[in-house]
Amino acid sequence: MSHPPDRPEILDSNHLSARTHEILTSRLSVPGTQPRTLSLQAYAVLDALLLVLLPLDEILPPGTDIAMTARIDAALSGPRDGWRFADLPPDAEAWESALLTLDDVAAEQHGLAFIHLAPDLRGALLDAVMDGQIGLEREGRLTASQMKRWSGDLRGEVVDCVMSDPRIQQALGISSSLTGGDTVFQGFTEVGPDSRESFEPKATAPLLQMAESSE
Amino acid sequence: MSSTIVMKTFAETDIIDALIIGSGAGGAPLAAELARNGKSVVVLEAGPAFPATGHTPDEVAARELYWLHERLSAGTNPQAFGGNNSGTGLGGSMLHYGAFMPRMDARDFHLHTETGKGVDWPFGLDELLPYIERVESFIGVSGPAHYPWDPERRYAYAPPPANSAALKMREGCDALGLRHADGPAALITRDIEQPHFGTRHGCANCGACHQGCRNGAKSGADNTWLPMAVAYGAELRPGCFAHTIERDSSGRVTGVVYRQNGVEHRQKCATLVLAAGAVETPRLLLTNGIANSSGQVGQNYMTHVSTQVWGEFDEDIRPNRGYPSLTITEDMMRPKDADFVGGYLVQSLGMMPATWGQNLARSTTTRGPAFARALAGYNRSAGMGINGECLPRPENRVTLSDEKDAFGIPKPLIEHSYGPNEWAMHHHAARLLTQMWEAVGAKDIRVIDRAAHMIGTCRMGTDAGSSVVNPVGRSFDIDNLWISDHSIFPSAAAANPALAIMALSLRTAEAMLKA
Repeated sequence: MSHPPDRPEILDSNHLSARTHEILTSRLSVPGTQPRTLSLQAYAVLDALLLVLLPLDEILPPGTDIAMTARIDAALSGPRDGWRFADLPPDAEAWESALLTLDDVAAEQHGLAFIHLAPDLRGALLDAVMDGQIGLEREGRLTASQMKRWSGDLRGEVVDCVMSDPRIQQALGISSSLTGGDTVFQGFTEVGPDSRESFEPKATAPLLQMAESSE
Repeated sequence: MSSTIVMKTFAETDIIDALIIGSGAGGAPLAAELARNGKSVVVLEAGPAFPATGHTPDEVAARELYWLHERLSAGTNPQAFGGNNSGTGLGGSMLHYGAFMPRMDARDFHLHTETGKGVDWPFGLDELLPYIERVESFIGVSGPAHYPWDPERRYAYAPPPANSAALKMREGCDALGLRHADGPAALITRDIEQPHFGTRHGCANCGACHQGCRNGAKSGADNTWLPMAVAYGAELRPGCFAHTIERDSSGRVTGVVYRQNGVEHRQKCATLVLAAGAVETPRLLLTNGIANSSGQVGQNYMTHVSTQVWGEFDEDIRPNRGYPSLTITEDMMRPKDADFVGGYLVQSLGMMPATWGQNLARSTTTRGPAFARALAGYNRSAGMGINGECLPRPENRVTLSDEKDAFGIPKPLIEHSYGPNEWAMHHHAARLLTQMWEAVGAKDIRVIDRAAHMIGTCRMGTDAGSSVVNPVGRSFDIDNLWISDHSIFPSAAAANPALAIMALSLRTAEAMLKA
């Protein structure tokens, strides 16, 4: 049976509850073409930043786009996780300010908008942010220590978005969504090393192919 | 909840014998015990009633089980809330807790006497043990036939099967000459009929304990104490956010104002019990400006040093499968080479992918293809983690911030910084766990510096000048106000707090019945 790249096989498993199926399926659609939380400028910076933070071309089949920027932007307007660093403003404001800070710093250091920087320069700016070396002391922007804090939130948000995507779970061979169906709650029979059960996905990610083929 | 029992309801004008705020490990046992003894009981729970069958292993969606009213985290070790902390919904944090259920070490009750640091509890293990055994027996706890650190101990249920991480940790312990065992886990491994609830099924090894147990195997408040409370006539009111404590001219509590579906309600009561946890309990007292003649409300906020060490293995580990944290060693409760006081428990760690990825993302600065490759290592990863003593420190506390929440109440500000003892313990554990993983061939070993749980802020003690409640949880200032949750712990101890919270809850109920 062949599956389109955007329709991971785990969604057809009877080890998936109806609710989990619905949640995972909802992640296959892009949440709209306009930003919900960020300004167009900040949204564009985020889009350019994600490409250097976490490229997925070695994980996903060619041509698959999980719309990370749109999903993160939408998540920033949804329910959050119940806490934030006291030295950062509320999440949506912190993200807007952080991304605009990056854009301003790109202009000051390189004379170009962040989105027009070559990937290696974008990456170097991100490294400097994570090291606590980049920030601006002015209204609506974040200081270097705030930018460093925010970079942890950025990384965490990206990972949430990626690891909860059914296409990523399929590609990495992750069975965490397949805890059991509604009529039969199967759980797992095998839980030790090297004991993949037949219903669990095998990794298909190009970067894991070597490891899988030697199984 | 069993469908055969119709829940009794009370009028807001009824003067309830015991009004309880919070339905988790602190509030639920006490609600059941008071109701069983004929008291009228109403439990206010801020969150909804979640049907167990609706829980989902999807980690983003399962955050509905976390307390989501925003908290502000400060200090040099600002604590992440959400997972491993406060919950919401009937059953409280026990809806998402990991069910790891070690007993408090007898020495941890007397840390100050032993070391000159920290604080003693006003009683010892011998006082709490009968309640601990009642809790274990009633909710269902699995464990080994022989527990190396307490040969007298017995568990009613056999342990679940060891998953990959548990097996790897056994090898690591063997390599370094440490004792190990299947740890006590608050889950059942065969089907049973739970009194007042109905059928609970044996653990299916699905691994999603932190996202809510779907078949009743995990022993929560929702499938044990709360149905018992209802069977004996208690009323559970979900969706009720309590914010104002009303008092008469003598200062005694007369009732509580809470919001339900956007409407304010007022419930009268003869006695009020706060069981809202180490942040919301002091927040309620601070916003109402009561029970704080000691100045100790919100002070001495503690966590557990919860360092984790992860490694990658050649085998297919699949860390989402099986009970996540089965293997335990208690050999580090008083290590001979310690440069700190107190001790720590070590447990094996499986983990769901987004939680695991969050830890990886926040503890490294890798990016680009290397970040993608690190995340792709999920299925080959196993971890170990600790829970260790955290000393009470004056700079660690819960106060009210300048920011208001949606109800117009100040958001809590939690300041949390490690002191020398916590850092020494962290480094000790990081070294030991790294050695264990190296000894069994793990690669790409990664140390994660983190704290978990929330403890303290309304300390119990014998002295009204330095404690908020007396040794049975009664306010020194207001004689019909009691606290039943981990905020009354004088010290953090090393053990995960849920078992001691429940044992104290039964003990406080007994004291209330005698009062």
